[in-house]
Amino acid sequence: MITSYRMQPANFNLEIPKELVLLSIIAQSFFQPFSLEDNLLVILTALTSGAGIGFNRATLFLSEGDKLKATMWLGPRSPEEAEAIWTMLSSPGLGYAEIVEHNRELVSRLLPDLQPKLKALEYNLEDEDLKFPAAAARDKEIVLVTGAGGDPKVDRRFLDFVQVDEFLCLPLVARNEIMGEIVVDNAITRAPITSRDIELASLCALLAGNYIHTTRLYKKVLEMEKMAALGEMAAFISHQLRNPIVAIGGFTRQLVNQPCNPDKCQRNLKIIQDEIKHLEEIIFRMSHFLRIKIKELVPIDYRPILLGIKDRPDIKVKSAGKTVTISLPENNSLILCDPVYFEEALVNLLDNALDVTPPGGRVYIRACQRNKKWVTITVKDSGPGLDEKSQEKMFSPFFSTKESGLGLGLLFVRRVLESCGGKVEVRSKPGRGTMFKLYFLSRERGSL
Amino acid sequence: MKKILLVEDDKSLSLLYQEELTREGYEVVLAADAESALELVRSGGFNLIITDIRMPGKDGIELISSIMGMRKDIPIIINTAYQSYKGDFMTWAADAYLIKSSSLEELKLKIRELLGE
Repeated sequence: MITSYRMQPANFNLEIPKELVLLSIIAQSFFQPFSLEDNLLVILTALTSGAGIGFNRATLFLSEGDKLKATMWLGPRSPEEAEAIWTMLSSPGLGYAEIVEHNRELVSRLLPDLQPKLKALEYNLEDEDLKFPAAAARDKEIVLVTGAGGDPKVDRRFLDFVQVDEFLCLPLVARNEIMGEIVVDNAITRAPITSRDIELASLCALLAGNYIHTTRLYKKVLEMEKMAALGEMAAFISHQLRNPIVAIGGFTRQLVNQPCNPDKCQRNLKIIQDEIKHLEEIIFRMSHFLRIKIKELVPIDYRPILLGIKDRPDIKVKSAGKTVTISLPENNSLILCDPVYFEEALVNLLDNALDVTPPGGRVYIRACQRNKKWVTITVKDSGPGLDEKSQEKMFSPFFSTKESGLGLGLLFVRRVLESCGGKVEVRSKPGRGTMFKLYFLSRERGSL
Repeated sequence: MKKILLVEDDKSLSLLYQEELTREGYEVVLAADAESALELVRSGGFNLIITDIRMPGKDGIELISSIMGMRKDIPIIINTAYQSYKGDFMTWAADAYLIKSSSLEELKLKIRELLGE
């Protein structure tokens, strides 16, 4: 017997410990493709909702270098607003997802009004005279402040903002680094903060700190990947440009420094001309490659495009003495792509296939309706195939097995496929040829 | 006459190097990839090898390690457009690492030095 359960239960068993409820709420949000802000909002929701700990309000600070900056605030501003919100939130059948949704709306509604006030709440953690709440983050200690109004160790600006005498400071720390701080209070109900509240809140702070840390690491990794790609790009450009430039320079030096007979002069000039043309081509293709950006996916009829590719003059020249077979499926569904990029991607693959196919050999292009979701287009050559090492590298930028190849063609194909929701698969064996299978999202004719 | 094996996949550059080094009084044999270069090394008779790094098929670094496996006595010059391979310790096995330049003076100097001329 097969029984399915929802991955995210809407309601919790009232018997289970609060710790588990909190963990469950927060874990479920991390499971969503939420942004950092959204996930932090979920944690603030866990701190403030009735299903969670039930604090009245929460203020979130994030660290930025030595600074601690207020960035988000959640909660009602007055008893009246609180009444309205809490009545609404306690309506039966409301799941945590709806509460988060509601809170997101609340935060964005309050933001224009609060932004300037939040902006003023910025502390320097290095400051010797640092006051609470920021001092709690600096000391990495959970601090309960009571009687705040009369305490000189509490920052006045913060008090003016929250207008409350008792609040709890929860530093957000990961790997011993300060990520931020959450301050919660019960300004509306005036309920005292209990040690049980503090226990539960510390759990949320722990998760929030680690979550911010992971998100920041992830951002760093993305940056580093970008830098690595840039480095590779720079190396590639210097190589691609250096060869023709060295040739142009070398043959020019011969013309200037060595006695040349007219034939040799003419030959050198011809080489220089060709290399300059080569340089122009490199620049053109690179700029073209960098521009790929499919703005709008449209359902296109790929059949006439596929059939037309065979008749392109560049392909006709290359396919002389070889056979190109195109087979199309019976039905007439469409695919999601951009017609120009579709054609270029296919030309790229066909061009590669013809390059490696020996005279008398065949190239097959076969379109097939796999299922309702996918149309696949397969391009298969009868060339020598690729060893494992080349297969691994084939999609990396600037890898080419061709003498004059830029190594951008397959990357281009993959970028096109990815930007229209599809994918590329490759199968190749030495001696057995290479097969590229492109997956396109299928659309029925007449629908969008 | 000293015999030099030049491994270079770019046609114009091969021609340039061949002409310039022939003028210097060397016999220059061309190979466009690592496989044919290895064949030639096996047949013997070279006093020096100049190789690029990025080439179709086996790259220059693999070529160097194959050559080192066969014979260690032929000096090798890496002549490439890439600075970045200098960090690859396999390139340290070569006797010189040059960055391609339209002036061939540095290359010629290095060749003379390695051939003890």
